[in-house]
Amino acid sequence: MLSIQNVSKTFHRKFALDQVSFEIEKGEVLGLLGPNGAGKSTLIRVINQIVQANSGVVRFDGEIMTQAHVRKIGYLPEERGLYKSMKVKDQMLFLAKLRGLSSHAAEIQVNFWLDKMGITDWSNKRIEQLSKGMAQKVQFICAILHDPKFIILDEPFSGFDPINVELIKQEILEMKAAGKTIMISTHNMKSVEEICDRAVLIHQAKKIAEGRVIDLQDELKTGEYAVKFRGNMIAFVNALWTDFELIDKEILGDDRFIAKVRMRGDQGFEDLLKVLIGQVKIEAAWEVLPTMQDVFMNYVKSNSEGHEK
Amino acid sequence: MRNSWVIAMRELKERIFTRSFIWMSILGPLSVLLLIYFLFQYGGTSKQRWQVLVTDPTGLLENKIYTNRDHTIEYAFLNTYLDIEDFKQGNRYQQYDAMVEVNEKVLTNKVSYVFYREKPSVRMQTKIQFNLERRIEELMIDQFTNLKITDFRRIKQPLNIGFRDVNDPTDESSDLRAWVGFFFGAVIILFIFLFGMTILRSISREKSNRIVEVLLAAVPARQLLLGKVFGIGLAAFIQFFIWVAIIGAGLFYFRENIFIDLSDAANWKYLQATAEVQQQIQMDQLFSAREYNEFVGLIYERIHFGVMLSYFFLFFIAGYFFYATFFAAIGATSGSESDGQQFVLPLIFILAATLLIGYFAIYEPESTLTSWASFIPFTSPMIVMIKLALGYSDGTGYQLFLSLLILTISALLMLVLAGRLYKNGILKFGHQVRLMDIMQWLKKDL
Repeated sequence: MLSIQNVSKTFHRKFALDQVSFEIEKGEVLGLLGPNGAGKSTLIRVINQIVQANSGVVRFDGEIMTQAHVRKIGYLPEERGLYKSMKVKDQMLFLAKLRGLSSHAAEIQVNFWLDKMGITDWSNKRIEQLSKGMAQKVQFICAILHDPKFIILDEPFSGFDPINVELIKQEILEMKAAGKTIMISTHNMKSVEEICDRAVLIHQAKKIAEGRVIDLQDELKTGEYAVKFRGNMIAFVNALWTDFELIDKEILGDDRFIAKVRMRGDQGFEDLLKVLIGQVKIEAAWEVLPTMQDVFMNYVKSNSEGHEK
Repeated sequence: MRNSWVIAMRELKERIFTRSFIWMSILGPLSVLLLIYFLFQYGGTSKQRWQVLVTDPTGLLENKIYTNRDHTIEYAFLNTYLDIEDFKQGNRYQQYDAMVEVNEKVLTNKVSYVFYREKPSVRMQTKIQFNLERRIEELMIDQFTNLKITDFRRIKQPLNIGFRDVNDPTDESSDLRAWVGFFFGAVIILFIFLFGMTILRSISREKSNRIVEVLLAAVPARQLLLGKVFGIGLAAFIQFFIWVAIIGAGLFYFRENIFIDLSDAANWKYLQATAEVQQQIQMDQLFSAREYNEFVGLIYERIHFGVMLSYFFLFFIAGYFFYATFFAAIGATSGSESDGQQFVLPLIFILAATLLIGYFAIYEPESTLTSWASFIPFTSPMIVMIKLALGYSDGTGYQLFLSLLILTISALLMLVLAGRLYKNGILKFGHQVRLMDIMQWLKKDL
C-alpha cells in the first residue's frame, strides 16, 4: 500500500529523518512509535506531501506519491485545528470538498458520520461552542469522512475521555475490518498492543526497530510465566523446588494468588504445570510478555546508550 | 484549481456573512455621502448664523433686505452713522458679526464696505454681496425704469464666467482633476490595505489554531495561498461595488434633488414653478450647488471615465495581488498572531508614505520622485491614477503601460516568492523571525 524507501529530511543541516525505510501492507494497522522529536511528524508530513524529502521515495500503491494520491489519505494531525467561528457541518463539508468529494457526496457523507457518531445535534453549533473533546470528535470525523484508503492518525486518543477513547478505538477497529490501511502515531502503548498489527520505532531520526507487535514483544520476553491459583502459597513454593524461581507474587485474597515464575535450565511451561497440578488449584496460567511500553523503553534506551558510546 | 476555488468560496462566505462586512458595506458609503453633503452644504460657513448690522443714515434701503427665509443670515438696521470704533467696542453692538455701511452715494458709486469681527467665509461674503446687490437693484429698477421687479428678474439671467489658463484653454490640468485621481488611487490603496490586513490576520490565525496543517494535507501551499487571496479579494471587490453603487446613486440624488444645477436652463424653469423654492434655492443653495456641480461635473464629465475606470480596475487587481501576497508572506513568516501584528506599524508607514507621495504628485506631477513612484509597485496604483487623471503628456503614454507591466510582473514575482515563504514558513510555529530563515525559505522548498 505504502512504501517508504530511504527517506531523509534535514532542517538547518540537522537530520529530522535519516534513511528511513519501511512498508505498510494493505489492510494492516501500523503503529509509528518514537519519543518526542524523533521525526514521526516529519515523516507523516513527507507522506502527506506537506514537506518535501531531501532524498528517498514514497510510493503509494506502487506509484510515486503525488498530490493526487494524497486525496486518498485521511489525516488527523497531532496539532488539532478547526475554524473556530465555523459551524460543525459547514466545516465538515468544506474539508470533504477539499478532499475531492462533490457537494452532494460530501453532504451524504457528513450526514452519515454525524448520525453514526451521535452528534447530529451539533451540526449548527460553532466550533468555539464545543468542548475540547467534542471538537476532537469533529476533527476525527473530518479526517475520515471522504472514505480514504489509507488513514494516518497522529495521537488519535489525546484529549478524549475514556469513553470516547473506547469509541475511537472501536471506529479504528471497524475501519480495519473494512480493509482500510491505518498508520497510528501514538504514545499510548496499550492501544498499540490492542490495535496495531505491526510497529515501527523511530528514534533520533532513524528507524531502530520494525516488526509485528507480537514479534517485538517476543524479542524481549524473559521466560516469565504467571499462574493464578487458589491454595497455599507455601505448597506452591515447595512445588517449584529448584527447577523454577518465584520472582513476584500478588495476593488476591481468599487464598487466591497470582505468582510470577521464571524457568531454570531447560524447563518449559508444561513442566511448570505438571509440578503444580495437585499442589494448588490452577485457575489460569500464561506467558508474561513485555508490554509495548517495555519494548519502546528498551529500544530507546539501548539506542541512546549506543549513541553515547 | 478546484481546491483554490473551494478555499476562496469559504473565505468569501466567512467575510460577507459577517455583521461587520454588511454594516461596513452600508454605513461606509453612507458616511462618504454624508461627508460630501456636509462638505458642500456647510463646508464654506465657519459660523452657522450671521447677524449683520446695516448702517443706513439716509434710510435708502427702507430698512428692508430680503433674505427669503435664509436662516444663516439676519439683518438689523441703524439709521444713523456709526463709527467703526463704536461698533468694535460698544456693548450694544457686540451681538453683530459684521457692519455694512450704506450711504447715499451707493447708487452712484456702487461702493459699500463690510466691517467684520471674524472673517466671513467666501460663501457668506458672496451672500451678503448678493443680498445687498438685489436690494440696490430693486431700488434702481424702481428709480430708473418702468419695469416690474418680477419682469426684470425674468429678463436677468446669470452668466457663468470660466477663468482659463491661456496655455490650457480646456482646463485639462486642473488641480481638481488631480484630486479625483488621488481619490481613485486612495480608494485602491485603502481597500488593498484593509483587505491585505485581513489576509495577514487570517493567515496568522490559521497558523495559531493549527488548521493549516489539515489544509496543507489536502491542498498544496500555493493553491491554498491563491484561494485565500482570491476569496478575500472577491470580498473586497463586492464591498467596493456596493460602495460605488451607493455613492454613485447618492451623488445622482444630490444633483437632482439637493444641489440642483442653476446654470442649467431646464432647472430654472422647474424652479420657477414655485417662487418660494426658486428664491430659496437662489439664496440658500446657489453657492453650494455651484460648487457641488463643479465637483460632480468633474467626476462625471471632465474625467475620461471609460479610460480611468478601465485602468482603475487593472491597477486595483494587479495592486491587490501584489500587496495581498506580500501581506500573506508576512503572515506566513511570523511566529505567532501577535508577531504578525507587529508588522502593522511598518505597513501603515508604507500606506502613509504612499498617500503622501500621492499628495505630492498632485502638485508636482512631472517631478523625478513622482516618475519613480509611478513605477514602484508599492506606490504605482496611487500615482498612476493621479497622472492618468491629469493626462499623460504627448510621448509619455508608454509610461502608463510600463507602470502596469512592472506592477503585474511584481505581483507575479511576489506570488512566487510569497508562495515559497508561505510553504516554508507556514508550519513554523512560535519562532523568532530571523532574516536568515526568511532568506533560506526564499531560496528553496524546505
